[in-house]
Amino acid sequence: MKKISSWMKESGPEGDIVLGTRVRLARNIRGIPFPGTAGRQQLKAVLEQVKDVVPFLSPFGEFSYRQMASVDLLERELLVEKHLVSPSHIQNPRHKGVILDEAFSISIMINEEDHLRIQVLKAGLQLEAAWELATRIDDAFEKKLDYAFHRRTGYLTSCPTNAGTALRASVMFHLPALQRVKKVQEVLGTVSKFGLTVRGLYGEGSDAWGNIFQLSNQVTLGHSEEEIIEYLVRFTDQILHSERQAREYLLGDSRRLETEDWLYRSYGILSNARSIASREAMELLSNLKLAVDMKVIKQKDPELLKQLLVQIRSAHLQEIMGQALPVQERDRLRASLIRDTLKK
Amino acid sequence: MLCEKCGLNEATVRFVKIENNLKTELHLCQSCAQGYTNLTVGLDLQNILSSLFQSGPLRSKIGQEQKRCSTCNLSLKDIQKSGRLGCGECYQTFEEELNPVLRRVHGSVNHTGKIPVRGRAKEHLNRQIEESRKNLEECIRTENYEQAAYYRDQIRRLEGELREGKADEKD
Repeated sequence: MKKISSWMKESGPEGDIVLGTRVRLARNIRGIPFPGTAGRQQLKAVLEQVKDVVPFLSPFGEFSYRQMASVDLLERELLVEKHLVSPSHIQNPRHKGVILDEAFSISIMINEEDHLRIQVLKAGLQLEAAWELATRIDDAFEKKLDYAFHRRTGYLTSCPTNAGTALRASVMFHLPALQRVKKVQEVLGTVSKFGLTVRGLYGEGSDAWGNIFQLSNQVTLGHSEEEIIEYLVRFTDQILHSERQAREYLLGDSRRLETEDWLYRSYGILSNARSIASREAMELLSNLKLAVDMKVIKQKDPELLKQLLVQIRSAHLQEIMGQALPVQERDRLRASLIRDTLKK
Repeated sequence: MLCEKCGLNEATVRFVKIENNLKTELHLCQSCAQGYTNLTVGLDLQNILSSLFQSGPLRSKIGQEQKRCSTCNLSLKDIQKSGRLGCGECYQTFEEELNPVLRRVHGSVNHTGKIPVRGRAKEHLNRQIEESRKNLEECIRTENYEQAAYYRDQIRRLEGELREGKADEKD
């Protein structure tokens, strides 16, 4: 658990705007009720059956299986901050499990809302690559497990909003310029017409901290996986175009001074603050990342900033320090970590 | 009136939220309203699911709520409450009630994507047969009988393959 996931520190394709890509497939085992309804013995049986597949995942990397109940609280929160498990997966950890690869870019949640949730995470914009890997891992599981599948409804899931392909593909955007010119709403507001949806950083119901937005498909039935990926790719292109336009606008002759002043002020606070809460830190780091991506501030490494956006989150910070910390102490350490990193 | 969220700026946006028939109203300034609408762009489908189950003609069917899945024992009422199904069998048990929900959420009730490796060949045959049937109907409708005969023969051949279980050998 000690290191940062590879997808979170590398830059990846379109890395100036797209932080990462995620593809998730939900699967259930035929004949066993979904986790919300299954009894203890049935949940245990699912854990055992899924665990037995781990040795067959070797073509995709080195995997380890963990029972959630044996993972301590801080480590569980780390898993959430790394986007490897959902916030609901760390609550009531009994009879839940997770399979992780060594690079922390593949995770399989066991007994979350569905028996299996296969997730692939990639740096930058890599929708097709993430889907291809996810479907191959899915095939490896399917060789050993009999899936709940119906020829008309497709893969059967606990929630009917996931039935069919049971595919959720997401792109994580950093849109500080669109937010600055107050156009986020205009650009993202039309997504629902295309069967897509927008959420904040940690998924459903979460706020857009640090100008980070997740675009994902809402519709899972009636379109093939390839079609769903294609819609997302097309919409992503539009968002990239709009954000780039907004960045150009911010650097236009009449705006440049105001923009530079705004960005340098963020840099100034980050380089000097002695105590900073995570929300403010996220906002300012988002501004600094924009400054570096727009080459207003040249000497900073964009990958270092991407890492900071993760490291300053509470559980990561406590992990760096090796202990649980009170809020005040966290804010002080956060400020000091940022100052030290920016000196590099 | 000042914004009810930040309390700093003049409220210019009235934010109305209707949830479970409960109406709540918030008066917000421009910038807070933006934050709020960002949150609700991705309309939380899962939460409105249970209300979807309860809309339409199903409600009026007396006794229907007591219908239970023989595999997991969940009743329609349980599903309406949680918006979650209990097991794979529920999809067939409650097909009639579920189809309108699937149609409203996805705009379709027919899966056209990936098929598990097991039985994949068989499913492909089924899909081909369905496709040919649609084409056959279309040809009859447009009185293109020559082409219709072609599809009729194709359907026969595919159905024959399905019966002989040729597809399963490949599994």
